[in-house]
Amino acid sequence: MDIKDFLKEFNRRCGFDFSDYSTNSISRRLSKICEEMGLSFEQILNMVVADKQLVQTIVEDITVNTTELFRDPSVWTAYAQLLPKHLPKQTMSTIWHIGCSKGLEVYSNLIIINELGLQDRCRVFGTDINPTVLENAQKGVYPYSFNKGYVDNFNTVMHSLNLNTPFEKYFSIDEQADTMTVSPTLRQQARFLPQDLVKDRAPFAYRVDVVFLRNVMIYFNEQLQNRVLSNVLEKMHDGALFIMGKQEDIPQAMKSRLLRQGPFYKKFK
Amino acid sequence: MATSQYKAIVIGGSAGSYAVVSKIVAALPPDFPLPVIICMHRLKHVRAGFVEALNDKSQLNVIEPYDKQPVERGNVYVAPANYHLFVEYDATLSLSIEEPHLFCRPAIDHTLSSAAKTWRDKLIGIILTGANKDGAQGLKDIADRGGYTIVQDPATADVPTMPRAALRLLQPSATLPPQGIIDFLKSIR
Repeated sequence: MDIKDFLKEFNRRCGFDFSDYSTNSISRRLSKICEEMGLSFEQILNMVVADKQLVQTIVEDITVNTTELFRDPSVWTAYAQLLPKHLPKQTMSTIWHIGCSKGLEVYSNLIIINELGLQDRCRVFGTDINPTVLENAQKGVYPYSFNKGYVDNFNTVMHSLNLNTPFEKYFSIDEQADTMTVSPTLRQQARFLPQDLVKDRAPFAYRVDVVFLRNVMIYFNEQLQNRVLSNVLEKMHDGALFIMGKQEDIPQAMKSRLLRQGPFYKKFK
Repeated sequence: MATSQYKAIVIGGSAGSYAVVSKIVAALPPDFPLPVIICMHRLKHVRAGFVEALNDKSQLNVIEPYDKQPVERGNVYVAPANYHLFVEYDATLSLSIEEPHLFCRPAIDHTLSSAAKTWRDKLIGIILTGANKDGAQGLKDIADRGGYTIVQDPATADVPTMPRAALRLLQPSATLPPQGIIDFLKSIR
């Protein structure tokens, strides 16, 4: 059984469609799963109908769940400088992190929003296919010593915004337990919801002013990128901000609808 | 023009390799017939100026690729900081932020192994000086598919861990000092 057949059958039995993921990426991750579990494609398919936990594990292992606080600090600085001008003054704005994983970019954004005093004018959503990572995002507890780079990123961003805010304003560090925990204020401001980007529409009815879709579509083929982007564009206000990973580009077919502006894109009016 | 039996070159290195990589990209002529893909470990936040400095030294176009960018001659692609760099079957490059491999992102094994699957015996793989065994398995994958493999002579390496790890896993096509690697590359027509 080849990968294409496996993915087709996996979708039929479990309702998760990975058929338009980039071939190399999906085959690498699937062979790792088979190797670690000591199971063949056929054996996995025989088990998934009865074993929902196995399905969850496979979805988790296929999707990449890495996320960092203020990944690419210069992008966040540019974002913080643009945001007050970008958001409408009179109405509530909606910001959407798609494929937010364990939520660290959502919290990065909320830190910026609070530092700029915009917290009463924004609602911030994070969505992901994977309920386990969303639970983790909601709890806001992360390993500390492994992620000390977060503190550096945080300080870099604050410094370039001429702010002296200490990391401890937003995180409490427990060296004994080796954890850092997001402050209750930020946790209450974040709204995490499940969404399978491949088949579901946005799980809220608002139109969106800012979209973060960073390092998610690098795992999709161009066809799926176009489909996902069309859906996302529909949810965006004209002129809304669209933010991708540093080394990503939008597919050719979408270049007339999203215009590059420095490190960001804007939806064409 | 490109009569070479090879289609691409992949190079991996970590500690101490910047100097060797600089010499290599500086020595390659503007009409060099093969694309070059380089995966180097570097500090996560050392970003500014790194690729620009290599580009200034080279007559080729040294760039950090975008996801899904096609591999073309005339270019030297350097794995962007904090991303893994893979070669896809259609000879485009892809990026990933999946977990570090042997504490490394980018990981040389990922770049070399994926390139080996795409170009098989039409690939030249080179492992330079470095302080980690990442890259050894990737070079072995290239050798296993009939590609040409070069390991920097450990005696000439700032940190010999990486070349030694490769030599433990495979018998390379050649073990060369930096100048020997440059001479080899310049002989490709």
